[in-house]
This record gives sequence, structure tokens and C-alpha cells, in this order.
Amino acid sequence: MWTGRRWLLVALVVAMAWSVGQLGTSFFSLTPGADPWASAKRFFGAAFSPALSDQNANLPEDATPLLVRLGGDLLRTLRYALIATAIAIPAGLVLGYLASEQWWPRERLRWLLRWVRWPVRVFLSFLRSIHELIWAIFFLSAMGDAPMAACLALALPFTGALAKVFSELMDEQRQSAKGVITAGGGSGAQGFVAAILPAALPDMITYAMYRFECALRSSAVLGFIGIETIGLSIMRSFESAFYGEVWTAVYLLIGTILLIEGFGAMVRKRLNQGKVGRKAVKGVLSEERLRRVAPRDWTLRFSGLAWVALVVLAFQWGGPLTLPVAEERQEERLSRFWSKITPAPVAPETALADWEERKEAWGRGKSEVMPWVEGLWESPGREALLNTVAMAVAAVILAGLGALVFVPWSLRTLGSRKPLGLFGGGGRFWPVCGMVVRGGFVVTRAVPEYLYAFLLVGLMGPSAWPLVVALALHNFGILGRLWSEVGENQDVGSSRVVMAMGGSRLQAFYGAMTPPSLNRFLLFFFYRWESCLREATVLGMLGVSSLGYYISIRKSFREYDEIVFFSLLGAVVIIAGDLASDALRRRLRE
Amino acid sequence: MGNGGEKMGMISVRGVTHSFGATGALAGIDLEIVEGERVALIGASGCGKTTLLRVMGLQLQASSGGVRVLERNPAEMSSRDLRAIRSRIGMLPQDLGLVENLRVVQNVLLGRSGRRSLLGTMRDLLWPRRKDREEVFEILERMGVAKKMYERSDSLSGGQRQRVALARLFFQEAEILLADEPLSAVDPARGRDVLECLTGMAEEKGSTLVVSLHQVELAREFFPRLVGLKNGRVVFDGQPDERELAALYEL
Repeated sequence: MWTGRRWLLVALVVAMAWSVGQLGTSFFSLTPGADPWASAKRFFGAAFSPALSDQNANLPEDATPLLVRLGGDLLRTLRYALIATAIAIPAGLVLGYLASEQWWPRERLRWLLRWVRWPVRVFLSFLRSIHELIWAIFFLSAMGDAPMAACLALALPFTGALAKVFSELMDEQRQSAKGVITAGGGSGAQGFVAAILPAALPDMITYAMYRFECALRSSAVLGFIGIETIGLSIMRSFESAFYGEVWTAVYLLIGTILLIEGFGAMVRKRLNQGKVGRKAVKGVLSEERLRRVAPRDWTLRFSGLAWVALVVLAFQWGGPLTLPVAEERQEERLSRFWSKITPAPVAPETALADWEERKEAWGRGKSEVMPWVEGLWESPGREALLNTVAMAVAAVILAGLGALVFVPWSLRTLGSRKPLGLFGGGGRFWPVCGMVVRGGFVVTRAVPEYLYAFLLVGLMGPSAWPLVVALALHNFGILGRLWSEVGENQDVGSSRVVMAMGGSRLQAFYGAMTPPSLNRFLLFFFYRWESCLREATVLGMLGVSSLGYYISIRKSFREYDEIVFFSLLGAVVIIAGDLASDALRRRLRE
Repeated sequence: MGNGGEKMGMISVRGVTHSFGATGALAGIDLEIVEGERVALIGASGCGKTTLLRVMGLQLQASSGGVRVLERNPAEMSSRDLRAIRSRIGMLPQDLGLVENLRVVQNVLLGRSGRRSLLGTMRDLLWPRRKDREEVFEILERMGVAKKMYERSDSLSGGQRQRVALARLFFQEAEILLADEPLSAVDPARGRDVLECLTGMAEEKGSTLVVSLHQVELAREFFPRLVGLKNGRVVFDGQPDERELAALYEL
């Protein structure tokens, strides 16, 4: 096993070195004369004095005050996230069920079902592999500036993610309870409804809530491409150097995300522990009396109802979701959109072409399609692709390093005054330190990567490294939390022995806790690498030569056919990364 | 009932073989079990007890040989018929097969899934009928776990969980009861209670009972017929005398 670990270390160092070689070492790229430290000082100084009213002195008297404006932005951000998850959860349930093995009947038909399951899985990866920002570009172009375009852009990749996890959760459940039902003559469907679904439900709800939190972050990020969420306000204030306003908006966003996360943690705990009955039956035991004192979790029931109510409200309140367009105009719009995404060599001459004209254009230019694709791949496709992969690799390695350094300080088992149950653990330093580090994880992961990247690019100039740092920061928070959970659930026996023999806490962690947890650490590490890759494709939109950069450039020129090319190129890489990460993780589980 | 006052043949296994992997294979089993019989399958782990129970419970199709359960041949049945027959066979798997985060009452109600539609099962999970609830309560009361009726199943102790699984079996009102190592999850002192409960249940409803066991002593006390299995074959069948008993211990 040691050789395995040594190889891993070598592989990580080589990967990091390659990334640095690919991305170059210019950390700043600013116009001559610009002083990054001065603007950074001004920006971070403003963190201590967030603005409570508009910093722009030239606003007219009757302009909406800052806090009201930001509040409205925040509500819109929430609204889009709610609608998107409300669409993605049922869709994810249905597709997840189809992608699972649960509905496979008797052996004889299995080969047939494999042919249904795989297309569904490929379709799900495709949905996931195109980032919501890119979906948004397409939907906005096809539907116009309608809120529903934003919601659908969020809902599609989230459906893919939910369906994948739902199907895995359904397949992971113990089959024996379902076996009892089918052995007693129940159908497979009954077994699924009564045994698999209830067992998987707590984890499914937990994951759906995590996804809602992600939807909120993504919804905010959609502001950076012009949708009216809180991201748009952040972008405008930053570009006018009203840093106080930026911080107010950022604090509002972080606060909301922390609230949702805290709420999610509460629900998860209640779902997993269940409620224990405290009240006893008075008098003679009877079914009626037992039922009356049965433990019921009203908080959970109320939360479920409240969520449904919020979704209904999100659909109803706050203006129409689609644009009031006549049907023929909508058809016209779709026809134009179709022309825009048709590759240039085979595009019809006029945007409003009918079927015959399209066929004719295809006949005329089909020999030019492959050269067109090859040309885009030669320049800039290949370079953009390599830069994207290098950014993801560098970011996840930095995040992992950071997490590995901070995790031992965050563990409740180590950070107490009685570490691992041994007395004499010193004063308050460790407990306080643990709280600070855990809080740090929470806050760093609450901020979306794109927001970090936007701010860092603003301060450091458009080079790859601010984007890498942005990705690394967000993933540091996530890895830190996931690895702490692994560490805290680890059996303390061997690490206690290390401390009982006079070792320090850090020796106990790196010597006795890390080796048995290493596989699980790596599991999460590769999982995050996969999502770094996905995020790296769009971060380039901030002006660095990755796939996203070319997508944003083509967007300004309205060359949607080339956007399709770059998006699909990104999707191919992400699906490949997905498969690679899946294969690595499966090997680690064995 | 059977012809000419003879007892109905509940389970008939003839020349059954089955193989997968290295253990648990069946290498030609012949066994006839009639109505109301109480049979214990004895043997070391890996001798094929669980496989045989699963074949008798119509969960597993044997590689070769003839199986008849409740005088029907499963190979000739449609899946609808198969389900109808299965609803008359109760199974208690070794790991009990409870849905951990459902309440006790819901787990017991699942015993009758074979006689419910999909909608009926959903109703059992969400708003169980009063009649069913009262029936479940009575059964749980006899099992001594009535107080836990509305608790989550994963909050119970090992012995309580065993009782809940037994209650589910009782609620099913099956004609054939199959139990796989029902004593593996309870402490030795409670083993007798579980067997008393199972045999009492079988006697009350006149059901046929087949149990796989490690404990020869207990098996001899509760079961008039012992079947010894070794390497997928029947090596003993009947009520053992002293010499045969020693051989059974060997298993």
C-alpha cells in the first residue's frame, strides 16, 4: 500500500507541475501603473464598513434605496432558485428511477432494460456537463429576457445531478426488506414504494436541500450575465468601485446561504435520528391511546409544508415568468435561434428560413462542416481545453492541500480539552481554534466560485491564477467539511494509542487517522475535481483563455454556432472527467 | 384438503440442484413436507440451508429438479399466479428485512403486501385503516412490544426487532412459514421464546413451519422432524436417536 501512496504523491506533484507549466506563472496581469495592493486594501477595507445606503451621490432623489433594492434582488434570486429546484426535484425523481436498477423486472428482460438505462444515464450526464451559465446563454437567446429562461437554465443541470444521486441512493439501499415484500407476493413496485423509497428518502431530502443551496448560489451568479439577481448588483457596484455596496450584497447572500445550510443541518439531524416518544400512555394500553401519544415531528412536517407554500408563492408572486409574446413571434424567435446555432457553413442565408431552405443550405455547405470543426479545434479549442483542465487540476490540488492542513484543527474529537478522551489537553486554545476553522469552512464554501473569481480578477487582472484561487477557496471549504466528517466518524482507537504514548494531536491525526481514512479522502477529492472541471469551463468568461473565455467572446459577436461547439467540447471533457473520477472512486471503494 | 383424508403435500422438492459460487449450493435434494408439519433444517453455515429455504419460498429458481409448493408447479405459473402463491408463504430472513426508518406499525402492515394493490400499500404507509391498526396492535401485544407500535424500527433493541419481524409474519397469515436462522440475532436465553412463538403461531393457524437452525438441542425439543444437510445433500431425515444425534452434532 505504501507504494500506492507514494505513486499518488508523485502523480499529484506531476499534475501540479504540468498545470503550472500550462498556465504560466504570471499571477497579476494589470495595466502598467496599476497598483493591485492599493485597490486590494481599499476593497478589503470596505469589508468592515458595508454600505447601508447608496454610495452613488448622483442618484436621483426618488431612486429606490440600496437596502430595498438589494432585498428585492435577493428575493428574486431566491425565487429563481425555488422555481428551478421545484422543477428539478420531480424531474430528477422520475429520471433517477429510470436510471436505477429498481424497476428491472425478471432476468429474462434485463438485456432490454440495459438499453433503456444507459441512454438515460448518458442524457443525465449531458444535462449536468453543460454549466447553468451556458444553458442560460442559450435559453435567453431562445426565449428572450424571461425569468423562466433563468429558471430552466438552472433546472436542467440540477435535474441531471439530482437524478444521478437519487438513482445511486435507490440502488444503495439494502434489498432485504424489498425481498420480504416480493417474497410475500408483493409486486416490485410495492417493494420499491414501501421498502426502498422510505429508506432512501432522508438522504434524498438532504441532497435535494443541498442542491437548493447550490441553486441559490448559481441563481446569484446568473446576475453576472445580466439576469436581475443579486449578482448583477454586485457586478455593477464593483465596476463603479462602490466597494461598501459590494460587501453589503455579499453579506446578504452569505447570510441567506448560511441560514439555509443551518436549516438543512437541522432537518438532516431530525430525519436521521427520528423522534423518540416521551409521553407514556395513561391507563389501559390501547391502539387509540398509543396513536395519540405517538411521536410526531411537527417541525419537520411544518418545514415540508412551508417549502411547498414557498414554491407556490415563487410561481405566483413577482411578475410573469414568461414574456407575453404572440405565438407566431415565438415561432419566429425559435426559428432565428435555430439558425443562430446552426454551424456557419450550413446556415441558411436568412435567419427566418423554412425547412426547404435549411435543407438546401445543408446540401451546399456540408463538405465545409468538418473543416470548420477542425479549424475551431486547432485554434483556439485545444489550447482552451488544456487551460481549463489545468485550472481544475491546480485548483483541486491547492484546495486539498489547504484542507489537509486545516482539517486536524477542526475536528471536535481532537479539538476538545480532552482530546480523544485523554485528560490534560490544555486550555481553551484548541476548542476555540476548532470553532474558528469550522466557521472558516462554512463561510468559504458559502461564497460561489464565480463571485470569488469576479472579485479576484477585478483586483489581480485577468490571468488564470485568480480563477484557480477562486475555485480552490470554495472547494477548500467543501473538502474541509467533508474530510472533517470522515475524520470525526473514524474509529479513535489507534489515534488514541498514539496520544496515550505521548504523541501530539497532529501526530495522532496524520499518523493514525489519515492512513485509514485516505481512501475516503480521495473519494471526495476526485468528486470535487469533477466539479472543479465543470466550473473551470465557465470561469474563463471573466477574461482568461479557457473555454468560457471563447464562449463569452462569441456571445458578444452573437456567434452561437461556435458557442455550441465550445460548450460541447466542454461537455465532452466533463463527461470524460466524470467517467475517470467514477472509475477512480470505484477502485477506491473496493 | 388432500384426497382420501391424506394430508395435503405443502412442499415437494425432488432432485433439486442449484449452484452459484462456492458455498450454498444444492446437490440433489429430495424432501416432502406435508400440511402442518414442523421441520428444522440443521447444518453448518454454507451447507445450503438458506438456498433451500429460498427455493421452497419460490424466491429462487433451482437450476434443475422439480419443486411443487401448495400443490402447484412454479415453472408453469404466470407471474400473477406466482404472486398469489407467494402471498401464502411467509418468510423471515436472517437479517429480518425491516425498513429501518418506518414505524413498527407500518413494518407489520407490510406483511400483507401480497394481498394489497400498490395503492393499498401506499394507504398502509400513509393512513392505515382502523381495522388493520387494531389487528396489528393485538398481535404486537401478544409479542410484548405493543408499546413500541408507533416508534421507528431503528430505535428498537435486537430482541424487539425480532418480535416486530415475527409480528409481520403473523399478520401475513401465511400457510407456510419459513424462517432462516431466527435465533442468530437474539441472545441465547431468548432463543427458546422465539421458537415457542414460531411454533405457537404455526399451531394456532395450522401452518406448516420450516426453520433453519444451528442448535441441535433446541431443534430436537421443538421439532418432531429434523433434516440434516451437508454439502448440499440431505444426510438425515426424521427424529434422531442417540447415535444419530451425535452425527448431527458433527454437522
